[in-house]
Amino acid sequence: MNNKPENIDLNELPKHNVYQVPEDYFDKLPTRIMARTAAAPKQAWLPAQLWPNLRVAVAPVLLLMLLVSVLYLNLEQPATKQTINLATVPDSEIVDYLTSYATLESADFAELNNLNQQELTADFLNVSAADAEEELEYHNLRNTDY
Amino acid sequence: MEDKEILEKFANPDSRNLAFNQLVRKYQQKVYWHIRKMVIDHDDSDDLTQEVFLKVWKNLENFRQDAQLYTWLYRIATNECLTFLSSKKRKFFLPINDVAAELAEKIDSSPNISGDEIQLKLQKALLKLPDKQRLVFNMKYYDELKYEQISEILGTSVGALKASYHLAVKKIEEFLKAD
Repeated sequence: MNNKPENIDLNELPKHNVYQVPEDYFDKLPTRIMARTAAAPKQAWLPAQLWPNLRVAVAPVLLLMLLVSVLYLNLEQPATKQTINLATVPDSEIVDYLTSYATLESADFAELNNLNQQELTADFLNVSAADAEEELEYHNLRNTDY
Repeated sequence: MEDKEILEKFANPDSRNLAFNQLVRKYQQKVYWHIRKMVIDHDDSDDLTQEVFLKVWKNLENFRQDAQLYTWLYRIATNECLTFLSSKKRKFFLPINDVAAELAEKIDSSPNISGDEIQLKLQKALLKLPDKQRLVFNMKYYDELKYEQISEILGTSVGALKASYHLAVKKIEEFLKAD
């Protein structure tokens, strides 16, 4: 005997749910979900899936900005920068400048002391003994121990 | 609790957890059964349901209230299902029929599935449909959503949904008659 249905109308079938869940599943599910939300960070200001594409886009933009900055700085500097060739300055002006502005510091005398220890001559130092004594006296460094 | 009240409470940091707990309790079964009918296996459905609610948790602040909350939830759940099924097909390099066969096997063997012969046949017949047509059928036949609601969830025109549903019904009835 063939008992296969000839015509089946879905609207006449009872809508029975054939799937089942473990006991108390829906009682426990909210607790499990809440436990996971406690560990989950809030949404970042940019969705994570955008980062790979964004990284590719950001690299050339940064490079371009760097190039523009370098070009801008190079264009700015020649207008304000003044270069002076030291060879064209007369010796007298250099001596005047050093006399007016150069200052002897104690460290310079320390170096002088070291040079003495190496028995360098006064000629090498290009200063007479009297001048050196006078300078030491002037700066009150005679008794300074380096 | 009404959706509007849940959303208002969620916006307040002091009542956020309470509001989200209410939201989960209100919609967990709809989301779970929507997923279960698509992926068949309980453990997979459990994982996906949790993932859906985690996404809701992370994005609820940005939810635009011009859409209904349950429509938005359905849309997230639908996307999770489609992504899961696609990855399953890619992962095992299987053609669509083999994934359907694997799911049909679960209908026969899973301890969490029971029903009379015609109901089990109906579930297997559904697996013969493409995933999106199966979604349309489930939402219309089982969840009894209106075409306008399904349209909002799937982003498909009402006309196309009607055609898809009627074609699905025809295919299923033919399958049941032939088998």
